Amino acid sequence: MFLGVFFLARITGDPSRLYLPLNATAQNRADFMRESGLDKPLLQQFVDYLQGLVHLDLGTSLRTGEAASSMALRAFPATMQLAILTMVLAIVGAVIIGSWAALRPNGIGDRVANFMAMVAASVPDFWLALMGILLFSVTLGWLPTSGAGGPAYWVLPVATLVVRPLGVLTQVVRGSMVAALSEPYVKLARAKGASETRVVTHHALRNVAAPALTVAGDLAVSLINGAVVVETIFGWPGIGKLMIDSILGRDFAVLQAAVLLTALSIFALNIVIDICYGLLDVRVRSTSKVA
Amino acid sequence: MNGSRALRAQLLLGAASILVIGTSLTSCSVSNTDSGTAGKSAVRIVLEVEPPTLEPCDASYTATGVVVRSNITQPLLERNATSGDLEPLLATSWDQTTPTEWTFKLRSGVNFQDGSPFTAEDAAFSIDRALSREINCNVKGEIFGDETMKTEAVDDTTLVVTTPDPDPVLPLKLSFIEVVPSSTSPDKKVREPIGTGPFEVTSWSAGTKLVLSSWSGYWGEQPAFKTAEYQWRSEGTVRAQMVKSGEADIATRLGPADGIGDLGEDYPNNETTGLILNGTLPPFTDIRVRQAVNYAIDKQGIIDSLYPDSGIEVATQIVREGIIGHNDDLEPWPYDPEKAKQLIAEAKADGVPVDAPITMTGRIAEWPNVAQMAQAVQGELLAVGLNVKLKMLETSQQILYQVRPFVLDEGATAVMISHGNQAGDAGFSTQYMTSDGALSTFGDDELDRLIHSAERATGDERQKLYAEAFAYEHEHVVQFAPLLHMVGEMGVAKTVLYKPTPASGDEMHLADITPAS
Repeated sequence: MFLGVFFLARITGDPSRLYLPLNATAQNRADFMRESGLDKPLLQQFVDYLQGLVHLDLGTSLRTGEAASSMALRAFPATMQLAILTMVLAIVGAVIIGSWAALRPNGIGDRVANFMAMVAASVPDFWLALMGILLFSVTLGWLPTSGAGGPAYWVLPVATLVVRPLGVLTQVVRGSMVAALSEPYVKLARAKGASETRVVTHHALRNVAAPALTVAGDLAVSLINGAVVVETIFGWPGIGKLMIDSILGRDFAVLQAAVLLTALSIFALNIVIDICYGLLDVRVRSTSKVA
Repeated sequence: MNGSRALRAQLLLGAASILVIGTSLTSCSVSNTDSGTAGKSAVRIVLEVEPPTLEPCDASYTATGVVVRSNITQPLLERNATSGDLEPLLATSWDQTTPTEWTFKLRSGVNFQDGSPFTAEDAAFSIDRALSREINCNVKGEIFGDETMKTEAVDDTTLVVTTPDPDPVLPLKLSFIEVVPSSTSPDKKVREPIGTGPFEVTSWSAGTKLVLSSWSGYWGEQPAFKTAEYQWRSEGTVRAQMVKSGEADIATRLGPADGIGDLGEDYPNNETTGLILNGTLPPFTDIRVRQAVNYAIDKQGIIDSLYPDSGIEVATQIVREGIIGHNDDLEPWPYDPEKAKQLIAEAKADGVPVDAPITMTGRIAEWPNVAQMAQAVQGELLAVGLNVKLKMLETSQQILYQVRPFVLDEGATAVMISHGNQAGDAGFSTQYMTSDGALSTFGDDELDRLIHSAERATGDERQKLYAEAFAYEHEHVVQFAPLLHMVGEMGVAKTVLYKPTPASGDEMHLADITPAS
């Protein structure tokens, strides 16, 4: 990963062309390359980078002159908070709506829920974000257009972000629930006189959870990578916007720091998901013990 | 089924409670930036991008300069963007004592925001620092190039600057250098500067908000607003909506599609758009083909369809009226596709490969509707028989076509650019015209001679020589196809009074903004 990001970033272009004025002289350019250490051979730059990494020094931003690590660490919590809240709302919402729809498959409620879920999963987020601003901020004046701050500032970004995962997850939950409710063990539970609530929450939901968790994990990864569109439109100071800005600005140190941080958190997320599989499904636990 | 109905009711109840929990969860916030300082005494400005730094020697970089220049720090003298005159600021007067020496008399009784007094030592230090090769200031490349100069503080209020060669526009160039105290690091950039200006940095939550407040020790008149709050949104639509919904007082860099409506303020912004034709590659090696390009483009048509009622005008040359050296007598190239076809036919008859491929490039989002404009131009060039392919590129890619060494393996190039002459003097546009100019693909000895004599001239002579150079370019060189003199648009809420000047995109003086009531 280090190798990939390091070298891929460097073949995208020469920062001196971006940072110096168009009419910069050759001397200007040489001075810039020397000061920023970009005149050294690539391998030397890579070794320097790895050495810095050992000392937790990820370099300095070309654009702002700040330490790259502090820029990435500052942006990261903003993205994480947004991602976590979005995923919690999406998962809980999907379980409720999906289960509700699955109770009467092909009933009116199910069809409406299914249609809405389809729409939600496919609507473009930039359009939704701009329409949200137009309706709730400009026309109705209920919410701030953008920015980061108190609770009101969270509503539009979270609402924009939650729509797609909610749509996708609802369909997954509904599909698995319909299948689960026709399984023999559900019939057995009903025959034993278990209430419908108990059947859904104790018997069926556990089996629905595994596929939902897999899909939710994928969706969460894309949110941790940074919800670039939402962060850009709402001026949310997150890591997605930081990465895009540092790619466009050929700000290699910041890009590397942001990717490193994101990779670490996706790694952590995958471990958490694996642990959850174990909690949900005894078979996963026992096989791992045997192995 | 009774149980099922009960469960559905429970699920609905659950959904409702999730909404409630969700809303209450949101009270943990990223960084609390609620309007603590906002109110009547604050002006709220929404920019397109966050200033990457507030380093004063990078203030020629627009995103930095718009906040720093003449707000936090000040130069010795300042160009009035409307009249074009140089006006005293930290220097009260200046004289060219010999052809290579300028003497500046400095204002006394001025302090920096850290309490130290401003003297000629600080002015000399600021110039030396900005031109140092150790620190790579943006202003050095932008304004000074490789030019060197010697500074000497004769006494507290007298500064002498000597240049190796006569430089008649030295004061204009120095108006780009913001003065910092001599205690500033000479070889490291600072993110939050100390200056002599009316405002100082109060807080900067990077990524979110920058707050300046007026400084009680300022030597001049206190500004009407005590606080300025900057935020940034890259979407023009969002900036416009912030002004409309009352969240911001001023929004910068808006375009026709951003929907600002009645709150929009247009202003000429010194930007001129055009095509640079690479005359070293066929078919542009022949002047008739380059002339044909100029005849083929319906500039007024582009304005009428893409920028109606915007104040955008057809360009005659690379600088607009009001800039020293502008040739008032030049007429725009008329739209005459028949003439264009005829010129191309003549060139073809003389053996010029007029159907050689031409790569036209434009920069994505460089100005509003740039892609549509580029497509319109491409269509018109195709219509007169030129073989033009269009590429819309991001900045760093477009630069490969625009700046030496040029891309030469894709056939002839026609690079659509926007040139902003911030300084108000044609001397800052000649890099597009001289044989060795960084942005010029070819030149002409006579044009070089005219420009070099203009560079050394002053006053009316300078104006006359540059005007001659523009006329000569127009008639005998035709490297440039001038398109439009652009305008900028800002959103200004009814709560404040502000008239943008041609320089407002580069430096927005907070002292010029006043409350409406």
